[in-house]
Amino acid sequence: MILSTSGTHGQHKARTFINTQRREKITLFQKNMKRIWKQFRENKAGMVGLVILGVFVAMAIFAPWLSRYDDPKSIVNDNPTFDSPTWDFWFGTDFFGRDVYSLTMYGARVALIVGFAASALSMGLGTAIGVTSGYLGRFSDEVLMRFTDFFLVIPWFPLMIVIAALMGPSLFNVIIVIGITSWPSTARIVRAQVLTVRERAFIERARSVGAGGGWIIRKHILPVIFPLIFANTILLIANSIFSESFLDFFGLGDPSVISWGVMLEEAYGYGAFNAFAWWVILAPGACIVILIMGFYLVGDALDEVMNPKLRKR
Amino acid sequence: MPGDVTGALLKHATPETRDILRDMYGLNDSLTTQYVLYMKNTLTGEFGKSVTVQPGIDVGEVIWPKLMNTLVLVGTGTVISILVGVYFGREAAWRRGKPFDKVSGSFFLVFYCMPTFLFALVLLMLAAHYFPTWPVKGDVGDNYANLDLLGKLADRIQHLLLPVSALVVETIATFSIITRSSLIDVLTEDYMTTAVAKGLKSRRVLKGHAMPNAMPAVVTVVAINVGWVLSGSIMIEIIFSYPGLGYLTWEAVQGRDWFLLQAAFMLEIFAVLIANFVADMMLFKLDPRVKA
Repeated sequence: MILSTSGTHGQHKARTFINTQRREKITLFQKNMKRIWKQFRENKAGMVGLVILGVFVAMAIFAPWLSRYDDPKSIVNDNPTFDSPTWDFWFGTDFFGRDVYSLTMYGARVALIVGFAASALSMGLGTAIGVTSGYLGRFSDEVLMRFTDFFLVIPWFPLMIVIAALMGPSLFNVIIVIGITSWPSTARIVRAQVLTVRERAFIERARSVGAGGGWIIRKHILPVIFPLIFANTILLIANSIFSESFLDFFGLGDPSVISWGVMLEEAYGYGAFNAFAWWVILAPGACIVILIMGFYLVGDALDEVMNPKLRKR
Repeated sequence: MPGDVTGALLKHATPETRDILRDMYGLNDSLTTQYVLYMKNTLTGEFGKSVTVQPGIDVGEVIWPKLMNTLVLVGTGTVISILVGVYFGREAAWRRGKPFDKVSGSFFLVFYCMPTFLFALVLLMLAAHYFPTWPVKGDVGDNYANLDLLGKLADRIQHLLLPVSALVVETIATFSIITRSSLIDVLTEDYMTTAVAKGLKSRRVLKGHAMPNAMPAVVTVVAINVGWVLSGSIMIEIIFSYPGLGYLTWEAVQGRDWFLLQAAFMLEIFAVLIANFVADMMLFKLDPRVKA
């Protein structure tokens, strides 16, 4: 914090005022967070979801310690192949004799990275387009919304297949593909909110004292619509993980990383289904379902706490 | 450049041969020229010929039988899941917080969170293990041509059973969750209390007051979800090798068959648009307040 060193008395006074204001804002924010947390804690389903997320985040962080092999993807020749769960291999082994348990632990990393990164991208795009469209209105609104409609009606799965096939398989491309196919619904929600906020008196007041468009959006509109975006983001992460798993499964993801989708693809490709090697499918499959469920439960609970009147789904 | 049709067609061709082929398909023209030509051909119903999937056959001819297969799969799947999903959603909302709601709620939540392809895989594995004779691939059996009409029908139904159930279970989950939440929004409104207070039988409150007000929301979300169902059906078609539009899209991507892909893609977008249009029409019927 750089305070005035050569400023006049008046400037100093103004700074102190701003500082007090900032401090008040922070206390208000803390108070709000406490209230939200208190309400959230009473939501049983939400707490279950939070615990699930905690477990998976821990799994992703501590994967190297939890894993029983330094590099679970490398093939160990003397391991039995397609072995059902034993004391040595808790979740059994796959076609190459690799430890399914170790692979599953590492899989949490890719799922979470893609989930967060892709939804951040999608959130950014959706919010930018939604806010611009809602705030500017008129011609820009028309153009942007038709553009959004266009993306909204395209069935996202074939679009994803095409984009992923064109861009080639890599983790980065997977994130980009998921990001650019999932923003339209966010843009719609944000725009609808901006339209109602824009007409409120405090926006007019800000404009009358000379605030510009960018300032109003940043300081007055975004904070108001933030709770709504936030709950939506959590649900979006669930969707992104969902998309990541099938991109990987259909061979459109990065084959060099360890992910649950790739594990399922290999299980399918190497005949785990004919061999009835259920353990190869159980661990990654259950992880995908439980992680998605965790995000879904948390997102739903947050939605209820933050927007009790705005549940629109 | 990846995704060049000549690369998929002639893997070891010399650059000169490729250039001749590119000339033949008009790929050496400028993008604008190509686009104008494409638009002209599309608008006159000329979609070109398939390149790698069924070389030399008109795209329309390739797509038509596949489209019928997909329509059967998605059609039966959607109808069943709307009926069953709305029923379960309604009963769950009506018994909110009771055992029925809790059991069906957690059951559907699991399937809602499960990617469609995963459930299809599990079904495939179970069927292959416990019913080894049950057909898990394709749309008809090997000696389909020799069967009589009834046998043909039975054969098709047998092949459809697994894909349809994979699709249906996933979609029922989505629809029942949507119905439940929009019905609960309605059930907490003041006029519901009024209806009960004036002595209406509880079932009539549900049928006469709650459902009509919840249906528009359900219809809207169901229409939005048709794109989702379509995407789910693609995954299912790929896993069960069911020769429909989705499987064709997949083959076209793999073979870089752009003309086929363009047409299939357009058809899929068309389906979503039609679904939205039908939903809008239904909204007029369901909600007299909605005006054009």
